[in-house]
Amino acid sequence: MAEIITGERRAAIDPLKFSQPLGAALVFLGLADSLPIMHGSQGCASFAKALLTRHFNEPIPLQTTAISEVTAVMGSGEAMVATLDAIRKKQRPAIIGLLTTGVTEVSGEDVGGQLRTYLATWADADTDTAPLIIGVSTPDFLGGLSDGWSAALEALIRAVVPAPMTAEAGSDAPTALIAASAPPAATLPAATSAATSSAATSSAATSSAATMLAGAARAIPAAAPATTTVPASPLSRRAGTTDEDAADRELVAVLAGPALTAADLDEVAGLVRAFGLDPVLVPDLSASVDGHLAPAWQPTTTGGAGLAELRSLRRAGAVLVAGATAAPAGELLAARTGARLLRHRHLSGLTETDSLVAELMALTGRTAPEQVRRARARLADGLLDAHFVLGGVRVAIAGEPETLLAAGSLLRDVGAEIVTAVSPTPAPALADAPWAQVVIGDLAEFAERAQAAGAELVLGSSHARGIAERIGAAFLPIGFPIFDRLGAALAGTAGYAGSLRLLLDAANRVLDHGHAHARPGHPPQPASPGSAAAGHLAATEIPQQGRGTAEPDELDNLFQESPC
Amino acid sequence: MAATERAALFTETACDHNNAKSAKARKAGCPKPKPGGTSGGCTFDGAMITLVPIADSAHIVHGPIACAGNSWDGRGSLSSGPTLFRHGFTTDMTESDVVLGGEQRLFDTICEVIERYAPPAVFVYSTCVTAMIGDDLGAVCAAAAEQTGVPVIPVDAPGFVGNKNLGNKIAGQTLLDHVIGTVEPGDVTDLDVNLIGEYNIAGELWDVVPLLTRLGIRVRSCISGDARYRDIAAAHRAKATMVVCSRALLGLARGLEERYGIPWFEGSFYGVSAMGDTLRGFARLLDDDELSRRTEELIAVEEAAVEAAIAPYRARLAGRKAVLYTGGVKSWSIVSALQDLGIEVVGSGITKSSDGDVDKIRELLGDTKMISEGSPRELLRVAEETGADILVAGGRNQYTALKGRLPFLDINQERHIPYAGYTGMVEFARRLDMAIASPVWEQVRRPAPWDLVGAH
Repeated sequence: MAEIITGERRAAIDPLKFSQPLGAALVFLGLADSLPIMHGSQGCASFAKALLTRHFNEPIPLQTTAISEVTAVMGSGEAMVATLDAIRKKQRPAIIGLLTTGVTEVSGEDVGGQLRTYLATWADADTDTAPLIIGVSTPDFLGGLSDGWSAALEALIRAVVPAPMTAEAGSDAPTALIAASAPPAATLPAATSAATSSAATSSAATSSAATMLAGAARAIPAAAPATTTVPASPLSRRAGTTDEDAADRELVAVLAGPALTAADLDEVAGLVRAFGLDPVLVPDLSASVDGHLAPAWQPTTTGGAGLAELRSLRRAGAVLVAGATAAPAGELLAARTGARLLRHRHLSGLTETDSLVAELMALTGRTAPEQVRRARARLADGLLDAHFVLGGVRVAIAGEPETLLAAGSLLRDVGAEIVTAVSPTPAPALADAPWAQVVIGDLAEFAERAQAAGAELVLGSSHARGIAERIGAAFLPIGFPIFDRLGAALAGTAGYAGSLRLLLDAANRVLDHGHAHARPGHPPQPASPGSAAAGHLAATEIPQQGRGTAEPDELDNLFQESPC
Repeated sequence: MAATERAALFTETACDHNNAKSAKARKAGCPKPKPGGTSGGCTFDGAMITLVPIADSAHIVHGPIACAGNSWDGRGSLSSGPTLFRHGFTTDMTESDVVLGGEQRLFDTICEVIERYAPPAVFVYSTCVTAMIGDDLGAVCAAAAEQTGVPVIPVDAPGFVGNKNLGNKIAGQTLLDHVIGTVEPGDVTDLDVNLIGEYNIAGELWDVVPLLTRLGIRVRSCISGDARYRDIAAAHRAKATMVVCSRALLGLARGLEERYGIPWFEGSFYGVSAMGDTLRGFARLLDDDELSRRTEELIAVEEAAVEAAIAPYRARLAGRKAVLYTGGVKSWSIVSALQDLGIEVVGSGITKSSDGDVDKIRELLGDTKMISEGSPRELLRVAEETGADILVAGGRNQYTALKGRLPFLDINQERHIPYAGYTGMVEFARRLDMAIASPVWEQVRRPAPWDLVGAH
């Protein structure tokens, strides 16, 4: 519904965009005992690490291949091998994400080939101790955080859930993946056939399983070949593989996007569990960087989806895409497993959550338990209370595509007017935003547009706080990074309870702002007659409030027209 | 900057650390980043740290989004006026720029920024990607300067040429080559000085400048904290230079001496005795008897005041044990500040110290544990072994300490609390005491109820 406006591209003044490798690193931070590596100069990793640390207030496991000007030109392969060797010896992670950067992409090196060669050299090694190593192509000069997240998640699924034999040749060639393998995974294609055939068997055996597969076929026609039986390969890893890989109706793969906080993930997982299902969250930032005091310090992630859980994804009975950014990975997983696909561009608001609950009810044949009903009733009541405060409020939002959709939709649900929405990068889902337009731009563009539109409530990262102050709007931090307040991971944005918290936060910010700043024209000044026209000031004449705390920025002619 | 010019930056005759090295080690320069074993910033980062605090100038990063997008507005250097330096200007190169070259885009960006913000100068930073595709930074900057009439300074410090330290050096050399000496000030006094390596973290400069002002000393330029372009361009008219805790910028001080005859000394603003030495250092170089007299007076007054103020903390802190993990010269002043408070330094990082430094640490600290590997695991191990009460280190290690349930005090550039000067010393004592004595440690060290079951 929304028009996507890509302004004439100019230099970024205050960037809204973050790099692809940063988004990819976040995915690996949501896996257990994992360590992402940025394949680039040491600054690529140190900047990302510093930024992630500021947001999460947590130590961030992140390593670098420390490419130098010599290795950048002469070949970065040796540095990659040295890094992987060093890390396997020292930090000993179970999962390694090797993420390329601008430095290692610009020379056109075959990083994927080098990684495959490296993996081949220790294919005979002890597979029990060998880490899963996944390479992802994430050049800095393409896309942004969400694209990196998307690419990493898809690469991860591709690595841990083997393609059906018949489709393998064609399906393994997309852009994101350069190499993904580990000795245990190397034998997986063989296991696939077992998975596929057993899925087919079980679907024939029980009608409910057959229903699920039919559902999958509706969502992704390509998944129909789940019934294309390939004889079980003699290369199956262990005895009993067939049982192991049998589709597990209760297993729900929840593929999360970057908009979901740790608290959101808890709620989504709780909803799935409320219907007797067993969620596997990928990535699961609620178990790693949610801010928890672990028994002891460790050099890799302290929680998240583990190897065993990742391998269990092939048995998923349903795939829940919780965020548009995770859609490509979700479609891939559903296609490979034949599982039913539940697609959600975001999970904020009553309608979206209702639709998920309806799906879970249909999936399980169960009705919603009391605590879910109670949470819904509270949200419904909160919507009513908040609509008095937020109705008609002009809102400006800046953030990653999924964050825009989630928060914007929720505020719109109570009658707020989304006057400015700026995303750092384009995304197909943005076209579905339930308001007039989405601009692809930076924070300077956001500031100009928000001011011109007379925004009264600004939502964005900590970088947007100054903008809200300058234009005299209330401010609610959402998205990434949030470094000037605590507990970003525990803020809610999704599900019945999370939506309610975001809604109340937004309403309270507007109320606080109103308490602190006199309403223009109240009490009436001699120069301002109580004409109704005063309520319809042209955008440039919107009286500015709250200048008291803003620092005058003499050099910044951007805001000079606003009266101080 | 050609590789040979960069190599010359390592032949720093004024650097004890450098002189203590063998000829071979000198040639090797700073330690090379180690794949899989490196956590510090890159050369680009170092150059930005040194130059971005020139607050009235525009700083444009020529590269893909990672370099500016992931780092902008993330440093603790404060400005008392202009805020232009806090923007994250970048060319935000995309794939087509990489293929076709980014020079035109850079030129347009420089012109746009100048038109929009009218800065006194623009600093343009190259990055790994723009260095690799061969964009001619110098030529574009020269063309833009000619077109606009505004100085446009190329900072050729792509991240992959080395570590942060090298970036500081390149930044210093860039100022010598392109900025210092280009403005003649109309208000020179005999007591004008330069500060080099002071970044005004958490506003520290503002606790020091008033002391200097009381002595009649005027800070002509501070490289770089709360700095203005024209002040730095006029740095060659100062009468003395102080290098604040920075080996990397010694070359800049020496350059000022060689080119403009400005004498310099190394000093520190941390700790009571170090602060006194610093003030005397200015008086000595400015060679003014009256100034020396005023200086001694001021030191006497301030030391008496600070002694009285920290006495209660000293009583509480005496006998406490600290593990110190910081680099180079800074460790010395912090050691002396900690000892001023009666705190025993039971472990000290030596990763960034020369052999001579290590000997001096042994001399000063006796049996102190030397920590040669700065891994979090090692720091925690040493802290446990020595029964340390606190880890005093850079922000990088903050969460190492917290996850180990160990009190922590940040003394590096990410912090938000100023510790410089005499008022800073009192704050330092107060914060140490607060960190160690906080009731939070008792809470987080308590076993969980389920860990107690069966234990009684």
